[in-house]
Amino acid sequence: MKLLVDPVACDGIGMCSHLAPALVNPDSWGYPIVSGETLGETDLRAARAAVAACPRRALLLDDVPRSGRQTAPVERK
Amino acid sequence: MRAAARLDTVPRLLEGIVRFRSSDRLRLAGPPPDTLNDHLQRYGHRPRRSAQESISALATAGLSGRGGAHFRAAAKWQTTLAAGGGGYVVANAAEGEPCSAKDAALLQHRPHLVLDGLATAAEALGARGSVVWLHEHARESQEAISRALAERRASGLIESPVRVLTGPDRYLTGESSAVINALGGGPAVPVFTRTPAARAGLGGLPTLVQNAETLARVALLARTNGYGEQPGPLVTIVSPGTLTVAELSPYATVEDILRPVDTVLVGGYAGRWVRWPALAGQPLGGLVPDLGPGVIAPLPPDACGLTETAAVLDYLARSSARQCGPCLFGTRALADTMARVADGTARRADVRRIAGLIGEVGGRGACGLPDGAAQVTGTALAVFADDVDRHLHGRCLHPGAEPFLPIPVGHR
Repeated sequence: MKLLVDPVACDGIGMCSHLAPALVNPDSWGYPIVSGETLGETDLRAARAAVAACPRRALLLDDVPRSGRQTAPVERK
Repeated sequence: MRAAARLDTVPRLLEGIVRFRSSDRLRLAGPPPDTLNDHLQRYGHRPRRSAQESISALATAGLSGRGGAHFRAAAKWQTTLAAGGGGYVVANAAEGEPCSAKDAALLQHRPHLVLDGLATAAEALGARGSVVWLHEHARESQEAISRALAERRASGLIESPVRVLTGPDRYLTGESSAVINALGGGPAVPVFTRTPAARAGLGGLPTLVQNAETLARVALLARTNGYGEQPGPLVTIVSPGTLTVAELSPYATVEDILRPVDTVLVGGYAGRWVRWPALAGQPLGGLVPDLGPGVIAPLPPDACGLTETAAVLDYLARSSARQCGPCLFGTRALADTMARVADGTARRADVRRIAGLIGEVGGRGACGLPDGAAQVTGTALAVFADDVDRHLHGRCLHPGAEPFLPIPVGHR
């Protein structure tokens, strides 16, 4: 699995580079540059934490649907 | 017998040359537009092809997307088909590249060829809707395509209806995710997506967005099943004030068509600067992917390559949709720093800064705009290295030279 940034959604808040400094480098303006490498076991844990913490839901793991966003109608009773 | 005789010669997309004023793409000269009768006499009727026949014709010919990205058409159609088809097909003629006028030339002279290609795509992919997408001020192209559609209806051709729709006159209006976003009722700006539009585009349905020239080539390939020699590249040659569109032989070289210059911008504003010797002997047929949307812009002897590059970057920065941080800040920083190099006020550290910015903007947007800015800048620094040194010492060989490249005004 690899990290991926949605550059439209990203506002450069910087949670990701704070939580996963080994995987995410901020550029000159604070926007994340992620390593394109396939993540190992340990890195994956940090990556998941960073993905979960992004207030813009802009950090993603490829092959994983974006979380925290309604993708199907919620059934109401 | 008649059909066989027709296949003996290479069919052409365009005969003669078409000239446009570069500031507004007003057509200055060109052959008369084809009526439906002219078209049928020239190319014959559009053959009915199955999806697999069409796709194998595209694969046999190795057709690539002529909007500039040169993605394999056969792969795109296959993806659309594998996703079940039933979506939309779009002939993209919103020619954002200011150096290119080939799509305008095709629409105004061979509109039926583009419409044949669109109909072939719609049939192959079982589309529920067909669209021709244009810039809103491209009046002549809009009128030509609407006239052609009226002729087809009047002659009783049975085809799925085509809608002619337009978006703002901006660089990114023809970017394929922007096209789909606009057709869906949103703004014509690029969208970040992990799913190709060919699988899930407009309304979540498989959507094929294909450049107008690509579809004109599809129309010819359908007639030959992909075999035989294909028409050579359709190029726009940029000279001060004028864009000249011509279909060239794939065996021709730039030496055959241009007076030698030191440097040429190939591929347009997202392209690259190339020195003459690296280009001169190469057959154009082999350069097709490098030509992007088919642009050849020789730098006139009295123009300054760094001034041209700074003007291009300023236009790209103004054209940014301002959605992605690295483009919003980085493309602008590239433009401003290159402007200082061009006007002789930069220091050595600024040139190093540009090299760093190239690495920071390339590949970091939802669309290819920042990648294009990075590429045109990187090749400028390499090709005009001596000129950069002169400018750092306050010497420009062509002080006060205005850009010869067409740079649209406006936007932010």
